Amino acid sequence: MSTPTPVVAVDQSLLYPSPYKEFWQAFAKNKGAVAGLLFMLLIVFCALFAPWVAPHDPSEQYRDFLLTPPVWLEGGQWQFLLGTDELGRDLLSRLIQGSRLSLLIGLSSVVMSLIPGIFMGLIAGFFPKILGPTIMRLMDIMLALPSLLLAVAIVAILGPGLINTVIAIAIVSLPSYVRLTRAAVMGELNRDYVTAARLAGATLPRLMFVTVLPNCMAPLIVQATLSFSSAILDAAALGFLGLGVQPPTPEWGTMLASARDYIERAWWVVSLPGLTILLSVLAINLMGDGLRDALDPKLKNAA
Amino acid sequence: MSLLEIKNLNVRFGDAKATPVVDGLDLSVDKGEVLAIVGESGSGKSVTMMALMGLIDSPGIVTADSLVFDGKDMLKLTSRQRRQVVGKDLAMVFQDPMTALNPSYTVGFQIEEVLRAHLGMSGKAARQRALELLEKVEIPGAAQRLDAYPHQLSGGMSQRVAIAMAIAGEPKLLIADEPTTALDVTIQAQIMDLLLALQKEQNMGLVLITHDLAVVAETAQRVCVMYAGQAVEVGQVPGLFDVPAHPYSEALLAAIPEHSMGAARLATLPGIVPGRYDRPVGCLLSPRCPYVQEKCHQQRPALDPKAHSLARCFYPLNQEVA
Amino acid sequence: MSVVLTARDLTRHYEVSRGLFKPHAVVRALNGVSFELEAGKTLAVVGESGCGKSTLARALTLIEEPSSGSLKIAGQEVTGATKEQRKQLRKDVQMVFQSPYASLNPRQKIGDQLGEPLLINTKLSAAERREKVQAMMKQVGLRPEHYQRYPHMFSGGQRQRIALARAMMLQPKVLVADEPTSALDVSIQAQVLNLFMDLQQEFNTAYVFISHNLSVVRHVADTVLVMYLGRPAEMGPKEDIYARPLHPYTQALLSATPTIHPDPLKPKIKIIGELPNPLNPPSGCAFHKRCPYATERCVNEEPALREVDNRQVACHYAEQFVA
Repeated sequence: MSTPTPVVAVDQSLLYPSPYKEFWQAFAKNKGAVAGLLFMLLIVFCALFAPWVAPHDPSEQYRDFLLTPPVWLEGGQWQFLLGTDELGRDLLSRLIQGSRLSLLIGLSSVVMSLIPGIFMGLIAGFFPKILGPTIMRLMDIMLALPSLLLAVAIVAILGPGLINTVIAIAIVSLPSYVRLTRAAVMGELNRDYVTAARLAGATLPRLMFVTVLPNCMAPLIVQATLSFSSAILDAAALGFLGLGVQPPTPEWGTMLASARDYIERAWWVVSLPGLTILLSVLAINLMGDGLRDALDPKLKNAA
Repeated sequence: MSLLEIKNLNVRFGDAKATPVVDGLDLSVDKGEVLAIVGESGSGKSVTMMALMGLIDSPGIVTADSLVFDGKDMLKLTSRQRRQVVGKDLAMVFQDPMTALNPSYTVGFQIEEVLRAHLGMSGKAARQRALELLEKVEIPGAAQRLDAYPHQLSGGMSQRVAIAMAIAGEPKLLIADEPTTALDVTIQAQIMDLLLALQKEQNMGLVLITHDLAVVAETAQRVCVMYAGQAVEVGQVPGLFDVPAHPYSEALLAAIPEHSMGAARLATLPGIVPGRYDRPVGCLLSPRCPYVQEKCHQQRPALDPKAHSLARCFYPLNQEVA
Repeated sequence: MSVVLTARDLTRHYEVSRGLFKPHAVVRALNGVSFELEAGKTLAVVGESGCGKSTLARALTLIEEPSSGSLKIAGQEVTGATKEQRKQLRKDVQMVFQSPYASLNPRQKIGDQLGEPLLINTKLSAAERREKVQAMMKQVGLRPEHYQRYPHMFSGGQRQRIALARAMMLQPKVLVADEPTSALDVSIQAQVLNLFMDLQQEFNTAYVFISHNLSVVRHVADTVLVMYLGRPAEMGPKEDIYARPLHPYTQALLSATPTIHPDPLKPKIKIIGELPNPLNPPSGCAFHKRCPYATERCVNEEPALREVDNRQVACHYAEQFVA
């Protein structure tokens, strides 16, 4: 080899993969996270294309096929892969239709609490003398009440239904975003680069949203993913209590509630919605763990 | 018989193809000798000592032809046997005293912990010995300090406590990893004097890891210069500073502000230390060396005896100087 | 040569609460510092922890208002400045920090970070800003491709170059450098120091260079200010201070600084004790507890800063070292 080596060594920074690639490589190492991601993609697909994916209309009642078992049991029909419920409605179609609602509830409640939560957290962090403690005490009061009880109370005031369920869940998840943002903001405010931005003459809005906020996103993204799953659980709980989404709208939790009486006779009417909830929450949590590990290694304990 | 003998030490993180962090290092320390290991970031100097103490966890892999301390083969020890050596005969003082001490326990408790574990002392005897150790490291008001928590101590005090913990087991070899970098100049001088006094008194071997050549010039007898995981020159102090053989040693010396008195610019080497992605096939300094020749790009030199020192270079400098 | 920075008796006190029932303690972090700095010159501020150099840096860069005393930047008095005047002051003084890892925004591309001062303070278009940024990047030794990269992809030395470039984007009259090379390796330090000197020549900026490394200070400084516990101990031209340090603390600092060619004949001044607690400073001369020459007078009477042998010294017995 007689090619002369350049006098200046190869620039390390140009050999670095781009931030997205780096992130994907770190994320993909976690098999559980990838599995979670795939399952969620399946759910999203079902939700988006529900009318075409579902074999039947979720509200159509097949009077001749009440409480049909799933196909792998005795008495099962190929027509109804997962069986039917007490009104003869196809379970699989209802589950697929229900995914729309669950995703909708999860997404909207997260957005509805994330945005005000970030705002309040930023303000609490940037104004630590009076405004900050006031906001935090407010959040402490909210946290002192058990979240489900609080949600029930809110829905009881506003009345049952989809939108009110979402509002209730959003209010209940607000404090954790505020706390997270504030903690992250307070940590970053002492750093030199914030001082440097101040020295460059940055105004307060710029400091808040351009300088500090992007550096606080990692724990927030992780929290958002995890509250997605707890939103689904909360919606299911509210539905189970009869306070959330009302029948005949197929929502996984309400399906659980109305099937309570059939646990012994037709276990699939209860277990299958429950299993779906379980798998979705598990998938989202695995994904959240993977996101956390990939976005911010410092959040992970030990190596 | 040397106190410490290291031959061909390799440390890599990852599989066998990963870039080595320490690459074929040979080192020896005699009883009562002060050896300085000098290098910049990425030279592998701290990793070497961590490997010796057995503190490299997976995915790090440590291999060596020989890693013998006080007659014991460190690679073949079980964890139990290693625990009996490390902290007792082989002790280490770290860079940042504020984080080297456990913030939840008092100073006295932490020193007594060492005495309990390695010398089997307990109760009043341990406390008495802890007090003696604090006095030995010249902490004023030692009796009260025994019950102080680390956050109540200044940087210099904390480092003295760390030294007390290190010498509690009466070690044969003390490794000090940048012990004064985090401290103020006047405190630095105190701590270095203390280390040297203790070293002389107990006839310990002392390995001083530092990036500050001036500290080396004032304290060490021998120096090993490391670059990108390899030892590039090993020689006597002050000899190596007067007539460096390896171009990197020369560059390090030239970069010190002391040596550019009067000149507006400091002499520097272009470029930076090779990292993961650009390790040269030939001599590791070849992309930056001002004296580079064709052979340097193609082959790796070995660490051979030259006129005044061991140097890893095909065309060493200052060979004619008597 | 025009004077760009004037400090008269700069003082900064902090109140520290000591619990519900005790009165607040006062920490005199900065206690009467005065100097003048000309364009293109470097004032080095030397001292150990607790000497007030960081407080001085914050006061000079307008992050904090001095409790008393006057500070004039490019002729503009800082206290009582109007909003417009403050905006101009902002552009006239900038800072480079010690840690290359904390001083750059991890989530912003460096091209954007370098352009930010221009975006905030000037009305240049995006294209003009980019051009200026590229020019500055070239000057500090970065390549055009680096514009898109994030800070974590660079080494410590490169990050300090970026930090320096960002500070110089507005071509400030005064640059405060707070231990800019302390975290860097020796050879990288040399590269960065060279860059500092080059930029100073190019833009005729005045530097306030804070460092505890006396050999670096000797290389870069024109004037040296040695501080101890918030007060100036000695201040004067570099050559005079290094050749004949008059204050015992300066002597101790120089003696404690290790050197490559130690002179076995030169006695080492052994300094005992630790830096005093700023909440409870010693009476009289702040250094008397550790000074080998302290007398009764030093315990009771605080020495004033006075002119001896071409510099300012705050020691009752400075004359004895002049010989």
